[in-house]
Amino acid sequence: MGTTNPSPPVEAHGNSSQSRVGEDAGPVSLGAGPGRAVAIERALLRGSHYLPAQGPIGVFIHHNTLHAFEDEPFEQAVVHAAHLFGTEPFLSEARYREELRKGRIRLADIEAVVDADLGGQAAQTLAGGRVTLRALCMALMEHPLRQEDDSAVRWTLTENGHVVDDPATAELWQACVEAVSLSRPTIVHVRPPVRLRDLIVAVEPSIDTDALVHPFLIRVCAAFLDQGVASWPMPGRERGLFAAVVDLYSRAGGPTEPWNARLPAALSAVRGRDAIDVIAAEIDRIGIPPAVEEDFIIRSLLALRGWAGMIRQFEERPDRAPVDAVPAKLADFLALRLVLDSVAAEWIAPRFGHPDDLPGLWTELRDRHPARRGPGSVARAFLLCQVAQRIGLSSHDILALDDNEILRLEQAIHGFDGFARRRLFHLAYERRHRVQILDSLLVNAAASAAGAVAPGAKRPLLQAVFCIDERCESFRRHVEEQGPAFETFGTAGFFAVPMYYRGVDDWMAKPLCPIVVRPTHTIIEVPMDGALASHRLRQAVRRRVGQISGSVSSGSRTLFRGGLFTAIGGAVAAVPLVARVVFPRLTAALGKRAAEATRIPTRLELERPDETRLPDGTSPGFDVAEMTAIVRRVLEDIGLTRGFARLVAIIGHGSSSRNNPHESAYDCGACGGGRGGPNARAFAQMANDPRIRSRLAASGLVIPADTRFLGGMQDTCADTVEWYDTDLVPADHRADLDRLLAVVEVARIANAHERCRRFESAPLDITPEEAIRHVEGRSGDLAQVRPELGHATNAVCVIGRRARTRGLFLDRRAFLVSYDPTADDDGAILARTLAAVGPVGAGINLEYFFSSVDSVGYGCSTKLPHNISGLIGVMDGHASDLRTGLPWQMVEIHEPVRLLIVIDGSEARILAAAEQVPAVKRLVLNRWVQLVSWDPDSDTMAVFENGRFVPFRPEVDQLAVVPRSEEWYRGHRGHLPPARVAAVGTAAQTLRAARQPAAEGAA
Amino acid sequence: MSPAATVIAAAFLDSLTVPADTTHAIVSVLVALQLAAPAATLVAIGLPALLDRPLSERATTRLVGAGFTAAFLAGLAMLVLLSLRGFVPEQVHLGTWFSVGHHDATIDLVADGLSVPYVCFSTGLCALVNAFAGKYLHREPGFTRFFILLTVFGTGMNLMVLAGSIDVLFAGWEFLGISSTMLIGFFHDRTNAAKAALRAFITYRICDVGLLTAGVVIHRAVGSGDFERLFSGVWPHGECLVPSSTATVVALLLVFAAMGKSAQVPFSNWLPRAMEGPTPSSAIFYGALSIHAGAYVLLRCEALLDAAPLARLALIVIGSATALHASLVGRVQTDLKSMLSYASMTQAGIIFVEIGLGLRVVALVHICSHAVLRSLQILRSPSALHDRHELEAALGGHPGAGGWSVVSLLPESVQRWMYRVALERGFEEMVVSRSVVGPAWRLLERLADLERAWTDWLGMSGAERAEARAERRLRGRSR
Repeated sequence: MGTTNPSPPVEAHGNSSQSRVGEDAGPVSLGAGPGRAVAIERALLRGSHYLPAQGPIGVFIHHNTLHAFEDEPFEQAVVHAAHLFGTEPFLSEARYREELRKGRIRLADIEAVVDADLGGQAAQTLAGGRVTLRALCMALMEHPLRQEDDSAVRWTLTENGHVVDDPATAELWQACVEAVSLSRPTIVHVRPPVRLRDLIVAVEPSIDTDALVHPFLIRVCAAFLDQGVASWPMPGRERGLFAAVVDLYSRAGGPTEPWNARLPAALSAVRGRDAIDVIAAEIDRIGIPPAVEEDFIIRSLLALRGWAGMIRQFEERPDRAPVDAVPAKLADFLALRLVLDSVAAEWIAPRFGHPDDLPGLWTELRDRHPARRGPGSVARAFLLCQVAQRIGLSSHDILALDDNEILRLEQAIHGFDGFARRRLFHLAYERRHRVQILDSLLVNAAASAAGAVAPGAKRPLLQAVFCIDERCESFRRHVEEQGPAFETFGTAGFFAVPMYYRGVDDWMAKPLCPIVVRPTHTIIEVPMDGALASHRLRQAVRRRVGQISGSVSSGSRTLFRGGLFTAIGGAVAAVPLVARVVFPRLTAALGKRAAEATRIPTRLELERPDETRLPDGTSPGFDVAEMTAIVRRVLEDIGLTRGFARLVAIIGHGSSSRNNPHESAYDCGACGGGRGGPNARAFAQMANDPRIRSRLAASGLVIPADTRFLGGMQDTCADTVEWYDTDLVPADHRADLDRLLAVVEVARIANAHERCRRFESAPLDITPEEAIRHVEGRSGDLAQVRPELGHATNAVCVIGRRARTRGLFLDRRAFLVSYDPTADDDGAILARTLAAVGPVGAGINLEYFFSSVDSVGYGCSTKLPHNISGLIGVMDGHASDLRTGLPWQMVEIHEPVRLLIVIDGSEARILAAAEQVPAVKRLVLNRWVQLVSWDPDSDTMAVFENGRFVPFRPEVDQLAVVPRSEEWYRGHRGHLPPARVAAVGTAAQTLRAARQPAAEGAA
Repeated sequence: MSPAATVIAAAFLDSLTVPADTTHAIVSVLVALQLAAPAATLVAIGLPALLDRPLSERATTRLVGAGFTAAFLAGLAMLVLLSLRGFVPEQVHLGTWFSVGHHDATIDLVADGLSVPYVCFSTGLCALVNAFAGKYLHREPGFTRFFILLTVFGTGMNLMVLAGSIDVLFAGWEFLGISSTMLIGFFHDRTNAAKAALRAFITYRICDVGLLTAGVVIHRAVGSGDFERLFSGVWPHGECLVPSSTATVVALLLVFAAMGKSAQVPFSNWLPRAMEGPTPSSAIFYGALSIHAGAYVLLRCEALLDAAPLARLALIVIGSATALHASLVGRVQTDLKSMLSYASMTQAGIIFVEIGLGLRVVALVHICSHAVLRSLQILRSPSALHDRHELEAALGGHPGAGGWSVVSLLPESVQRWMYRVALERGFEEMVVSRSVVGPAWRLLERLADLERAWTDWLGMSGAERAEARAERRLRGRSR
């Protein structure tokens, strides 16, 4: 980090002619011409892209944390962002070295990425031909360097008298000291910061005006955005943040803190003025030159980026506000922030000898800020000395080099600074994973192909369609392990049913579809005819209970009622307190039992009766044509157009946990952070409709009359599966239904068992029965900060035929998307699959990536001190910036690698498909995902690198084979390499080479 | 219950009546156990941690759980025993720290109708929070530290509750203060946490002066710190044994001491900031036990208040000011933990008023009842969103903003001003910093200057002194 450039790399191009006009008018001018306003608005817009795009936390949507940088190549973007946000671009070097030690990264990987990276330069020689650039790089990668600044090295020198112990190296040290004294030092030019506060802190670290301004700003922003925590909402907030604060604070009305004594005067001076106008005036007051104006605005927004981002979210998507869509404007926020900044700066200014003169202060601090920075000569000598040792240069060799050679060597070393080394380490880290996965895919596919039966030879007993979610990988495997006649598929978990959905217990409809889609249909769940009366009774009881509990919880906070409640009734709380803490599983189970006992039978109202629209403009249901299109789309996507089983289960997923502000982040990403059960239910209902089947048959997609679809939902936390409309399954399908229930029961227990190996609080020798109880307990436990591990294992996405991946133990790390290239003549299916899966998968993967490389900077660090603010987000403790991203507990076991997308398709087909989806194209070209083409007709793969596909050379042709998954994972906590599970098709023993035929061995 | 059953029950209870000295021996053992159990856990988990070989998470929570459960069961046994004997106080003399002439600093504990129920209640809560925190802090780097601090707290709490003399009470009180401070600053890599911890610590120290001075006054007045010599009788019907003037001075000092830990105006602003620590510690400290420690001390010395009407008045005034302040400020808090901390503060204020009015049993019940409810609320505060969604679903809409309030009767401009007052937390901090902290700071700086000048002067030779004098004169002129 020694060479980190603290100045912002944000290009300032706010120097248009219009903004020069503003400057010409002089720094005292308070006016803003229309051109100036446009420039400020533009800067605000640019700045807003850098703000976190996380909306109110009740609906958590995974997205690329660095979405704003997607136009840049990944490796460059992360460094760029690291400079802008002060974050980490990769894991720490120590962490990668640890992985190297553990064998997770191999030396061969490092060699491979270094060779690829250096290309033709590798053979370049340095130090008078004694060492090649490649050798230098490898030396630096293999052995850690102590990169310290001048004072640290001097300290070592004065404490120990020397930096090295033995006489030979002491000589080398002397030679290095001499050598660097001859050559010119490398200088890094530093652009001074533009915000007054940053300048003040840089010059005088003990004074931080943000520490004064932020508590106030956080308080008013939180009051403004509050969605119902405070019982007294901020007066006047319907007129915007700025106006409300001006109203509240522009009059003297009580003692103030010393720094903001001038605030009422400053606010009354801008009362009634437009925010943009105020921003212009504040910029002029400090005398920010137009050239850095944009940078100034962006930096001012980023100083409290969580809150600024939330204001922006309310401005952009008022429809996503949980309760009150308050009229939030980023301009209001900035105007207020700048006024407060000036008030604080003016209070500080006298200490720097500039009372009432912010421009003077700004200019002086800019001048005092060191303009250049570079390692001092001692630090350079220290670095050179270490490198000389690594690459085997003696003191004579060093002394023999002329100053140009020394300089070249130093520059070459500088080229492999901390960031560069970490980048190479990271590429090696990803390479190892990639090679391992691709190797195993190839071996497994060949083995499967060898033992495969001709498609359609035998009717499958059961088919189940799951979400692509990597958490479903293990569930599917455990279904398949029960027999070769059980088939599974994966598709985006909203099953192509984009809808607003209102369940029988909900009071308003929620969208259940990917975030990019705005549904045009609203589906409601209604009580069945016979159950209407009990439904009404139940509603009334719930309302009554809700009223009582609501009034107790709000009343306990007040003076009089609170006194009464707490003094008289408070002790009653001991019951839930003890129950929840001491008997969490029992309490949760009782709650569930009660909910089940009072459940009433329902149906979905799927079909709209006529063309009327609901008040929000959506249709109250689908028509037959729409439903036909939905069913066709999903069946075509997953390649299930013939060979239907008698029963096809459609299984969505969601996650239930307690005491967890991030609960929604565990739900289905394809449902926009909702639970996909209703979508599965709707799809099954559509696919069972004879009218739709006849329409499908007319166009060649024939679903046999004896095939039934059944919707269900899996709880990925408690590993329970709930089924819908089982009463509609005809009598002659009873046996099939029973088989389904039995298979799923076995699978869910096995799944819970496999999951438990990752939980340290579950013993490694846990039995399957204990495992299912363990995960159910986690889901209902108030104290559990890791109800489940969410997407923490995501790393791979395979888009292709299940036949090629079936039997491979992928350790819950792969999104599995069913796609049949042989049934996709024009690539249209691939294009739409990529459009649906690419951004969602990459969004999840990259959010986990960044939250784990820098838990504090990109994630929201540990959950323990989290405090829900305004029902929109979490703060650390009582007043901090809103913390966005994922908590440490969610990403703890995550391996940050870019999503490895393997597509069962030819290179040309993949490129053509990516071309059609701009969002995916950008991710692929700029390498935010790793893309691999897997030729549908042969066992060759090609990795997309630097704009083209490069053939993949397998490193091993073997794969461990185990009879069942359990044998492979039992007794292990960490990530496991892939293995082949024989139970689903092939016999045991290590598979050697691909084409050797393996015996069929059905379990 | 039928008359026959009553008779049988009475006979049964009669048969259980234990001779006084046996009771005393048993009570002594139980009381010692109350202190020894958490203290032993402290050693058991603290020593390995000191030797850099911390116990496993499971072993840590089990040990701490066992310690608190043992103390809790001992408390229950003691409760049964004492209730059979009508809650006559049992003094347990553990030793004398020192004794000079007529002055004794004794280590005395007392088991009576106040301390025994309270110790059951507090160790029970500690055991619950331990069970919760064992999962909540799983894999957190400061895991062992948290449980060490929790046991420090538990030990201190028991020491304070069972204290039979002002000296022991003070010791327990300090354990509470230090564990509270270190848990607020649990995440020591965060500036805000460290600042909040320091603020709480300073507030505690200032108010500790009250307790310390009270101790000195008591020692002077009765030659010992023993409560026995201050008041006698069966709680809550104590009888003051010292003259009204002494009682008033001591009571006022105790009120001052209690104001800090129980976050009474004007010492309240540390409380919302104290929510920087992990949720379970916030729950037990600021929802349940630490916040009521001040009130407990006042209940302990209730008999003194009988002889000190002035202290009663002070309690009523301070308590009602705090309750009003906190309920107003609490109404505008937008984050769960600040809101709950003001809610706690409101009730702590009301409890002060109750004590001021002499409603001892009411206050005790209120404390326990409030502590249970509030710690549950804080523990499940991360559920706020989930609970809100469930509430909305049940009500079929958003629950409206809070109920009717007196404030809505006022004109709009006054309302707006009131809102600002609430948002600025009643200006408490500004007033205190302007009128107390600022002057005190300047005074300390002046004193430091004087001291420096004095030491410099002492260390100088004659010639240097003359030179320095000249220089000072010169500097003075240039100013």
